[in-house]
Amino acid sequence: MNPPLPRVDALAKVTGQVRYGADWVPPGLAHAALTPAAIGKGRVVSVETAEAEAVPGVLLVLTRLAEGELTAPTFLMVGGDAFESVQPLLDDKIAHRGQPIALVVAETPYAAAEAAALVRATYEEEPVSVTLDDPGVEVRDQADVLGPYEDRVVGDADAAYAASARRVDAVFDLPTQHPVPMELTSSVVYWDDGGVTVHEGTQNASAIRRGLAGQLGLPQERVRVVAPYVGGGFGNRNSLQMQTGLAAVAARRLGRPVKLVVPRELMFHNSGFRPASRHRIRLGAGPDGRITALLHDVDQQTSRYDVFPASYTDTSARVYAVPAFRAHQRIVFTDSQTPGYMRAPYEHPAVFALESAMDELASATGLDPVELRLLNDTETDPLTGLPFSSRHLAECLRRGADRFGWARRTPQPGSMRADDGSLVGWGVASAAYKASAAPALTRLRLDPDGGLTVWAGAHEMGQGIRTAIVETVVGLTGMPAGLVTVEAGDTVGVPHQLTAGSWGTATVLPGVYGALEELRKRLGAPPTGPLPRVAAPAEVEVGSLAPGQPPEALDRVIAGGMAPAGPVYPDFTAYSFAAHFVEVRVEPTTRRVRVARTVSVVDCGRVASPVTAASQVRGGVVWGIGAALREHAEPDPRFGGFANADLEGYTVPVNADIPDIDLEFIDEPDPSLNALGVKGLGEVSMVGVAAAVANAVHHATGYRARRLPIRIEDLL
Amino acid sequence: MRRMLVKVSVNGSPVELDLDPRESLLDVLRERLELTGTKKGCDHGQCGACTVHLDGRRVVSCLTPAVQADAREVTTIEGVAADDGTLHPMQRAFVENDALQCGYCTPGQIMAAIACVAEGHAGDDASVREYMSGNLCRCGAYPGIVAAVREVAQGWPA
Repeated sequence: MNPPLPRVDALAKVTGQVRYGADWVPPGLAHAALTPAAIGKGRVVSVETAEAEAVPGVLLVLTRLAEGELTAPTFLMVGGDAFESVQPLLDDKIAHRGQPIALVVAETPYAAAEAAALVRATYEEEPVSVTLDDPGVEVRDQADVLGPYEDRVVGDADAAYAASARRVDAVFDLPTQHPVPMELTSSVVYWDDGGVTVHEGTQNASAIRRGLAGQLGLPQERVRVVAPYVGGGFGNRNSLQMQTGLAAVAARRLGRPVKLVVPRELMFHNSGFRPASRHRIRLGAGPDGRITALLHDVDQQTSRYDVFPASYTDTSARVYAVPAFRAHQRIVFTDSQTPGYMRAPYEHPAVFALESAMDELASATGLDPVELRLLNDTETDPLTGLPFSSRHLAECLRRGADRFGWARRTPQPGSMRADDGSLVGWGVASAAYKASAAPALTRLRLDPDGGLTVWAGAHEMGQGIRTAIVETVVGLTGMPAGLVTVEAGDTVGVPHQLTAGSWGTATVLPGVYGALEELRKRLGAPPTGPLPRVAAPAEVEVGSLAPGQPPEALDRVIAGGMAPAGPVYPDFTAYSFAAHFVEVRVEPTTRRVRVARTVSVVDCGRVASPVTAASQVRGGVVWGIGAALREHAEPDPRFGGFANADLEGYTVPVNADIPDIDLEFIDEPDPSLNALGVKGLGEVSMVGVAAAVANAVHHATGYRARRLPIRIEDLL
Repeated sequence: MRRMLVKVSVNGSPVELDLDPRESLLDVLRERLELTGTKKGCDHGQCGACTVHLDGRRVVSCLTPAVQADAREVTTIEGVAADDGTLHPMQRAFVENDALQCGYCTPGQIMAAIACVAEGHAGDDASVREYMSGNLCRCGAYPGIVAAVREVAQGWPA
């Protein structure tokens, strides 16, 4: 056994040497700035740019692009590449708050910002409807909107629920939230020999490449996207955004490189976010606590013009042995930009609702919350009847209870006090997240000096994929980590697909494994042990697939698309699991809630990189605490968009919000998903944490949270 | 706009700058001096990613007019390691405690952390958490950051 490898890019990161998108400063660079619309919806009647153009140093003021200069992109969820189908500056429509009406380019950021503020416009304003309950919204069954889609049904859940001895019926409201990666959205774009190069932090270089090529009318081969390091993803950067095409047009017109950094407030209004969702859970059980029925009704927001689908109930159905299940999901069309995938997009809200209801069921049956969960464990997927490829949820619960000291918990709410008089609450929740995997094309080159270069179609956004790749190679060959180079995040290498959905590890590492096998075969080397020395560089390029995938799935990735599979595979269903335990302290007078400590035990298959995996779990717990107690993007009923669209108003957890985070991995390889036995981790680590916090708050105070975040006024 | 000539020491090297008074220290470092280790996360003083030292004290460079650095010493993440490349103890502690993920906030965290110790605010975990709360980390590396700061503080010369 090798000792765990430290994060391979940590040295470059602590010295400031890593370059993110906007860190590129090519010679002759011009700076761009955006003028946002002053209305939340409507149309631009007239635009006045003379004052802006008179600012010294201004090179270009764009308010309407020429015919054919840039076309609207296609929305990600209908086979396209963009987070939404709206492209600013193509017509007079304003679809949402923050949509730009002008792009200014100047010699300096100052001149650009000054001029952008001087662009004036008149508008025809339309009213906006921004919440699920606004009378101006449209509500439709998802089954009617998405064609072949059907709500999940197993057995007769309504009858089973009606006949249940114990019933919980509760509605939970989950707020709009924003991913808020620390790196601002930005593009540095330049043209060269008829092709265009984009430096931009992204989780999906292929989507920017294919999408921008389509917008500009270029073949994909003429677009290069460079994103070796990304300053946080969390779903925010999973597709083409509006600024890339604008920067490309400006750079082409000026014949100069252009840098466009989207200000934080405009990021809140021009990228995907976690939509508001409402969940009615009806949970039936026998007097012994065994679940008899689960009904899960969901309303979820989307924009007026794109359908961001709702997929909550696939997860809520699979956490426990549920003999009868019925889902019903509806889409609510509101005035906002199109929502998107924010970390654990469906699983965090769905499991918050389910695990809050489970806590109520524990109270209703008199069972300990951990015992109730163990009692309802299952080895088979309730929706398909297939076995889970691996499932160690019960072990997560048992080990977590031990580590946490759960046996010392007294069940009565308000029955535990700290020495300083604070109310103490202990809560638990289970977590599940689909174990997806996707095809990959992986290239290896072994050099005569013993160095091995790995080209992987993945994006390093802090999750540690580079470290996981190096650690895997070291484990399979015994070679020193320093001899392994990872090339990732550049479309000049192998095809890249979206890095999201916790499928990165289970996609890239099997690819590396297969490529190493092929390299050994090519060199006539034994299947294990060190790689041989080579006299000339030896290179292999190998495709890999998720279980049961046809080879055409790889072709989709090579063509610039994506092809994730799972969680249902031909012979099994694959999920990652976790159990989270949380202690809160509630100050008795002010009712201020602090999370005092947490324990998480996670089943992500074999742990590919212990150092970066532990940080992933800590990060997920921080996100759960933020979701439970802090984060709410407040819809603005007057101007549309969000009223608290900056880092002061949208409160993400700060250091002082975060306690000691204890964690442990089951570290049992999944025998079915891939040869390395790895499952995803980044999202399951967040799922359930907010429910554990809320259940702990109930244990401390008796308050049942029906909406997040929990605020002091809820507890007074 | 009237321009101003200033002389600044940046990481120990003298730099003469002809400045628009509106230019922030952050943009001058990044766009003119190409010291891009200092990051822009909000441009509003809300996130701390742009933290540098001005005469040894931590400031958010996005809210610091560059002209304010006239005749003063600016230290950025590129300037904290020794001339021979030996890491600053805080950089080493960040690596050893995996006090980072995406790395975007890391330069600002390290500049704030060095100042936090120098200010005498690193005597216990709670104090570190409080005095490091001006630097947001969306990846949630806070426990590692606290561990790194405490480790360095305990080995800090009295």
